Amino acid sequence: MSNESPNDLVVNPAPHITGPMSKNRMMQYTFFAILAVTIVSAALWSQVTTPSGWNLGLTVAIGALIAVGIAVAIDLLIGKVTSDSEVNIWSAAVFGLIVINCFSLGFPSMAVGLETGVPVEAPLAFFYIALISLIGIVVFKKVMSLAGRKLVNPAAAAKFLVLLPTLPTTLITAFHLKTGLLQVPALAGGISATSIVNGNGGATFGSYLQACYGLPTAQSPATIESVMFLAKYHGWVGGASSIAVIIAGIALFALGRKYFKWRITVSYLIAIAVLSLIFSFMFGDADLTTRLFFELFIGSSIFMAFFMATDPATTPYSGVGQIIFGVGLAVLTILIQTFMGFFGGSLLALLIMNLTVPLIDRVRIGKPFGR
Amino acid sequence: MNKMANLVEIKEQKDVARKTPIEIFPDPKIAVVLTNQQSGATNTPLVSVGDTVVIGQKIADSKERISAPVHSPISGKVIKIANVFNSCFEYATEAIYIEGDGRKTKDKTLTPLSEAELKDTSNEVLLKRIRDAGIIGMGGAGFPTSIKLSIPADKKVTTLIVNGAEGEPYDTADERLMIEKTENLVRGVHVVRQILGNPKVIVATKDSKVEAIPKLQEAFGKEPDTQVIAKHLTYQQGDASVLQKAILGYETPPNKRSYEMGTIVQNVSTLNAIANAVFEGEPLISRVTTLNGDVAKPKNLLVKIGTPIADILNQNNINTKDIGNIVVGGVMMGTALQTIDAPVTKRTSSIIYFTKSTVKKAKKATACVHCGRCLNACPVRLQPIAIYNAVIKGDFAKAEKLWAKDCLVCGTCSFVCPSRLPLASTIKMARQ
Repeated sequence: MSNESPNDLVVNPAPHITGPMSKNRMMQYTFFAILAVTIVSAALWSQVTTPSGWNLGLTVAIGALIAVGIAVAIDLLIGKVTSDSEVNIWSAAVFGLIVINCFSLGFPSMAVGLETGVPVEAPLAFFYIALISLIGIVVFKKVMSLAGRKLVNPAAAAKFLVLLPTLPTTLITAFHLKTGLLQVPALAGGISATSIVNGNGGATFGSYLQACYGLPTAQSPATIESVMFLAKYHGWVGGASSIAVIIAGIALFALGRKYFKWRITVSYLIAIAVLSLIFSFMFGDADLTTRLFFELFIGSSIFMAFFMATDPATTPYSGVGQIIFGVGLAVLTILIQTFMGFFGGSLLALLIMNLTVPLIDRVRIGKPFGR
Repeated sequence: MNKMANLVEIKEQKDVARKTPIEIFPDPKIAVVLTNQQSGATNTPLVSVGDTVVIGQKIADSKERISAPVHSPISGKVIKIANVFNSCFEYATEAIYIEGDGRKTKDKTLTPLSEAELKDTSNEVLLKRIRDAGIIGMGGAGFPTSIKLSIPADKKVTTLIVNGAEGEPYDTADERLMIEKTENLVRGVHVVRQILGNPKVIVATKDSKVEAIPKLQEAFGKEPDTQVIAKHLTYQQGDASVLQKAILGYETPPNKRSYEMGTIVQNVSTLNAIANAVFEGEPLISRVTTLNGDVAKPKNLLVKIGTPIADILNQNNINTKDIGNIVVGGVMMGTALQTIDAPVTKRTSSIIYFTKSTVKKAKKATACVHCGRCLNACPVRLQPIAIYNAVIKGDFAKAEKLWAKDCLVCGTCSFVCPSRLPLASTIKMARQ
């Protein structure tokens, strides 16, 4: 009969089988979804050459390599020199892709000839991307993980930290309004495709969108809808094509059914749409679509909705919590963009909402079976 | 009303086993009968080393109410009483080793009844018979059946559910019983029905058991006030309370007994054992178990309780050098053996064998990704990760506040966890 040593048997607690989804696979799915978005952005933007002579598509490609390369290299390095740090290459690679995709590039045609001070051009952009990737992976991914769990989205936090010194001069439109530099209109007032915004150099909000996001070399400006929905040539890399983000995002949610937090995306987008319409009525906009399309489809909104606001580690785990999170993110984003004049304010909104997650996770989510 | 929130589908892995007829496994040369296989009070041996015993002789029992005796599966001599790994409790407990003499002498304490005699038999006699036959819940719980069927006089049971869901992947013992012993199940239902005061009967099974469904419909179709429900059921719906929700639409509060809601759920294997005890006079000394996993030929074996698992592996040409692990009682809720010398128990619904390379593929646990998958996978709507975190921190008060006690230990949370955290086993540990 058996003389086998009992210790030869592997004795684990039940269950003795596991499902097909693993952390690595989740990260791989996410990586390829964001990679698809990045490729679309790079392809679209290869039509543009910035005043410094760099092809914008090439800038995206190099930026992506820098961001992903640094993240993965640091992840491996930390895994090597520490005794128990978890090496997770795919997670680092996803982080790197998010860094490049939430970085603002491009050169709005209306700013030609103006020194903006915004780090939107290569090669200076590469330096910022590298810095964000480095700080993000070390401080916000690795160091924070030591404390138990990540508190804030690493890419968003690192970008915010790096850009903080230049925030008022580069990102907040209220400042531009005062100086008249970029002739950026404020959202805290009536805006529309055709009516002229006061104190905005006599331009309409519609033509601002076209001049800011349209193809600089285009003969005639594209419609606002097609700019916002199909192809933008300025702003967040990941937001170049809203439709590409939506397709890649839905594909990701379908592929990793029940593992990705689609409720956040859906509740965020619905809340943004509802709030835009409310604000349109409040400010007496001449049309309802201009504000709606701006709030929904600027890169910082649409890319974040699908790929940053759904970061598993920094968002609530219950379904109800995810809806609270999505709606909260939308409210904060719209308030920041409208009243602070900080376009791309979803970044700040996300960081604030991330910090509320431990609280949201305590929300009672209904009673157990039979209770 | 039958919509269950987000039940997780788990691959059945039953294709071959469910088509394989039950095969009688030869008696062991040495039977290793664990004195305790039931949940409830502890049994003590009634025999000592050197005693001779016959088939079906009671060899261990307890005087406490909530208990069930065990019987010798073979005729022979008690050669030792020693501890061996007990898969019911996941640690070693006392067992009676009986060396067989090959004789077919049977204990005659339990006299067979005919169906006609059943009608004139009182509940007391029937319940005593079920107790004396050592019958316990064979679906995994191991609760003494005589106690489960002793309903207080002021309570009325209106529905008997025959649990033919057999949710555990790989397991097909119940399915084969439903196919091959359908008439015996009908007889078992007669007994239970009489004890419970003739409630209506619902035979609940899964739509994937295509061979069993027509057999059940034919056999139970002749019975009064009896319904066969074959519907899509997930693994979790094999649990009695989750099954009740799927069939009857209500949720039994965890602090209430099933009969307080007017329902009793009886597993197929248990009903088969009841029929054998009443009509054949045979105590619970054998059961059908599925041999499955990384085996060339999955089998359903009618095996004597007390047969060492090693015997079954050897007879089926399983290379004992290449065992990664052996799981008994189902891959989702069952126990990994510490030694293959451990015997078959009343609760061994299956013996699943995995090779070293299969086991090696399993990933180690890593940090929680916070995806929340376990929350919407839990069939009883708990927050597995929150309970897990509380337990890890030693905060048992918080774990209790999060209803850790309501956990079914079905294992679904661990199954879906992308970080492979041992959620279910940690919560189970905290409950104890």
